[in-house]
Amino acid sequence: MKNQLSALIDGEFVIESSEHLITSAKSGGELKSCWVNYHLIGDVMRGDAVMSQNFSNRVINALEAEPTVLLPNLAAIPSIGDGYRAATKQSGYKKFTKLWSVAASVAAVMFVGVMVLQQQLNKPVQLAPVEIALVAPVEKLAPVEIAQSVPTEYLQAHQAAAPNGNAYYIQNASYTEPKQ
Amino acid sequence: MLRVVCAVLLSVFGLTSFAADDPWFVLEKTAYAARELNYQGVFVYQNGKQSRSVQVTHMNSTGQEMTRNVMLDNSAQAGQPSEVYSRGNDIVIFRPQNQKMVIEKRRGQNLFPAMLPTDLQSVKASYTARIGPVERIAGREAQIIELVPNDTFRYSYKIWADTEFGLLLKMTLLDNKNQTLEQIEFNQLSMLNSQDTNWFQPKIDASKSYVMEDATAVNHVNTNWIVAELPTGYVKVDHITLNVPGKTAPVDQIIFSDGIASVSLFIEPITKGMHPKMGHMLIGSTNICANVIEGYQVTVVGEVPEATVMQIAKAVSFKKQTASNK
Repeated sequence: MKNQLSALIDGEFVIESSEHLITSAKSGGELKSCWVNYHLIGDVMRGDAVMSQNFSNRVINALEAEPTVLLPNLAAIPSIGDGYRAATKQSGYKKFTKLWSVAASVAAVMFVGVMVLQQQLNKPVQLAPVEIALVAPVEKLAPVEIAQSVPTEYLQAHQAAAPNGNAYYIQNASYTEPKQ
Repeated sequence: MLRVVCAVLLSVFGLTSFAADDPWFVLEKTAYAARELNYQGVFVYQNGKQSRSVQVTHMNSTGQEMTRNVMLDNSAQAGQPSEVYSRGNDIVIFRPQNQKMVIEKRRGQNLFPAMLPTDLQSVKASYTARIGPVERIAGREAQIIELVPNDTFRYSYKIWADTEFGLLLKMTLLDNKNQTLEQIEFNQLSMLNSQDTNWFQPKIDASKSYVMEDATAVNHVNTNWIVAELPTGYVKVDHITLNVPGKTAPVDQIIFSDGIASVSLFIEPITKGMHPKMGHMLIGSTNICANVIEGYQVTVVGEVPEATVMQIAKAVSFKKQTASNK
């Protein structure tokens, strides 16, 4: 089944006879996680944009948390529209409005996202001067000598960003293990 | 295929083959060979007491490079080995972690045997190249080239280049007492004759769930941080900001390189409860120097001599913005 599913995702399986795969992938369990994994691996290997972890869950949560401000407008339309129905392209307008409200909520989610992002980005810039003012005297008091504490993240970051990645192999094999 | 490879090499280098006793020519050929040839082999990387075996498969099909590195030593973590795939400027790493497979995406790096840059101008400015004797490595005949630094701000390198194909077979990093700090060497190597690229897909472990590692690096261009006096030959090659777990503010990382050796400079604001650090330490071949400047923790890390990290750590300063800039 997994091989068939993999072939289906790669476009190497007859779609007409793939109903059982779709059905069992939909019903959850191992085949569903395979479906998710295979797509993620495929996206990464092809170099497609990959959404960050739990992206869909976060979008769903954000949509649920979104106040339904736009809905009353939508609900109001039929009652206003009743009288005009024969003469106007009411249904077209309604569809448009519906679409528009979806677009608006997507935009709102994006806006919130951007705001959060910007806040995160701005935070350190705003914080930094205050922190320095508070802490600057420490420098004059007693700078702690570098002890046995190795900034592991720094070694990793250095090896990941260096134009020549020689030490990468050691780093990958050992430094990352203790995490989590 | 072998003939084709030879023919290509001859046509590329044939015109200047009389220059085979020019060490820079050999190094250039080595840099190109690693990127243009199709090969598979096993190499061992050693640093201090640690060593790792890696299988590398490289193919250049119609100008696009594809590389797979499989970590053969997997210490305590049984099951799937880590795999590293790179195509073009992207590197994708699959690494087992507990019950998961973590996928990490990175910017491209020059990985073995493509360690040398194809443009050797900056290396030429800081090192002198010398032709050494011929030795055998992994059953192949290898020409030794020594890269000796022109000053004390970098270590020296010894490079073994395949006399036939030009491929880098072995490379060592030596300190100024001529002691080996790092070594990377092919144990086995063969040229690939097929054009089959089926190997370029990860082995999927269906029992594990695959997760993307959250991106930690954000690219940044502008910085108010300057290093007044960089050690000769080093230039800034990149500047990024990192979100390090457990740190409240992002960390600035600025990378300097002389074309082959590289140094990272980390700068973070000293926040409440943080113990500022100063001083120097050595881990394997990596020198680390910490300093405190204007309320910021400065840490410099690199596989370079102590003098280099010390000088950078001392020369950092914050370029103050003029009043008109808010």
